[in-house]
Amino acid sequence: MRLNIISVLFPLVFFKYFTDINIEMIQYMDGIGLRWPLPEIKHMLPIGISFYTFMAIGYTIDVYNEEIKAEKNIGILALFISFFPLILSGPIERAKNMIPQFKSLNAIDFNSLSQGLRFILWGYFMKLVVADRIGIYVDTIFINFQQHNGSTIMFASFLYPFQLYTDLGGYSLIAIGVSKVLGISVMHNFNRPFFASSMSEFWRRWHISLISWLTDYLYTPLSFYFRSYKVWGIVIALMITFIISGIWHGAAMTFVVWGLLQGVFLSIEALSNNSKNEIEKKYNLKKRIWYNILGITITFVLFAVSQIFGRSNNLEMAVNILTRIFSTSGALFIGPPSNFIYIIVGLLMVLLKDFADEYYPSKFQLFDNSNKIIRIFSFSLIFITILIIGVFDGGQFIYFQF
Amino acid sequence: MEKTEIVNKLTFVFRKIFNNNSLIISNELTANDVEGWDSLTHMLLVSEVENTFSIKFKLKDLNKMKNVGDMVEIISSKF
Repeated sequence: MRLNIISVLFPLVFFKYFTDINIEMIQYMDGIGLRWPLPEIKHMLPIGISFYTFMAIGYTIDVYNEEIKAEKNIGILALFISFFPLILSGPIERAKNMIPQFKSLNAIDFNSLSQGLRFILWGYFMKLVVADRIGIYVDTIFINFQQHNGSTIMFASFLYPFQLYTDLGGYSLIAIGVSKVLGISVMHNFNRPFFASSMSEFWRRWHISLISWLTDYLYTPLSFYFRSYKVWGIVIALMITFIISGIWHGAAMTFVVWGLLQGVFLSIEALSNNSKNEIEKKYNLKKRIWYNILGITITFVLFAVSQIFGRSNNLEMAVNILTRIFSTSGALFIGPPSNFIYIIVGLLMVLLKDFADEYYPSKFQLFDNSNKIIRIFSFSLIFITILIIGVFDGGQFIYFQF
Repeated sequence: MEKTEIVNKLTFVFRKIFNNNSLIISNELTANDVEGWDSLTHMLLVSEVENTFSIKFKLKDLNKMKNVGDMVEIISSKF
């Protein structure tokens, strides 16, 4: 099994980190007067390499753990690893869910076709209308952050998590929808993350397929290994898991700090869990609306702060951004008013839908309304909105780089 | 060890870890049914069970524990 995992991981490590390490080595060797014998290799990252590598590793470990039987049909296995809707950016699926579906494919039925198309429509709305609109604003601010005041940078930093959510969340929905159209059910990747009232709950709602993969294949073995240290063993396992997750996002110190921060947030929660529960029970806090809003706000702010490191080019930039937020003030930079209004309207629509799904799951249905006219009206409205205010310049999708 | 004895001992462990003195466990009980039973507290539970019964689990055992009933089976197989 180890040999298999190493051979599967090798291309990922090579393509992701070789160029960085090689450039470092060339500079270092030049510095001490030596020529590095390997030529500088600059290559493109093979598309989707992280995602099929993760699926292949998951499959190997599941077979080793006797969770599933080894698949004898190489065609089915190849289809699982390279299933086209998921290959670019996930969701990172499991063999246990996918392989049986590939084996019992039915003729395409109307219900899954229609459900799939709804996912695709809402996914495109999230991606083209909301994420890419926010992207225009956030990029403007972050690229020239020295020219902007604290309130503007803070606003952009709070918008960035929404960009990430609608970007990957929207993309995932398109992938899930395309699979559904083909009759294949794929796991959901986001579960209204911004209504989480603690960091641990947040990570059960955000990029679920990656986090559950990391939990099963990295965190669980690590915490099992360190279990004799009790709660401190969990802290060690959390830190290692999130630092590795950070380095996977990019071979840069900013991502190490990003991972470190997540590890610290979750560790503090794990360490204070018992006393927090007691206080919550004593004052019946979980039923209070203000307490939940407080939890949701703190969770969001902590995540947004950690993402300043994820978004910055280097640590210096992240620290400067944080300093500017607290040291300068002024009026909020709006930019082109139409873009700003589109952001607010688009984001409100996404958040209102999530709010309704979270707290009133069977009320206020638009896409699934029993009234045909309301259904058709909402499809058309979203479709036209995409056409009118969607961003169609072929802008990059953030997760392609991973 | 008798299974009823294992369940009795387990009940104490569960009540201690999840801080709930009225918790009653059954074979079908899963992490979804117990407040606070997540991937963080799970390992505290596993380690407490090991100490209580003086046994050692393997990582493979862990993957097979889908509910309390599985856990009881695996514990009883260690004696």
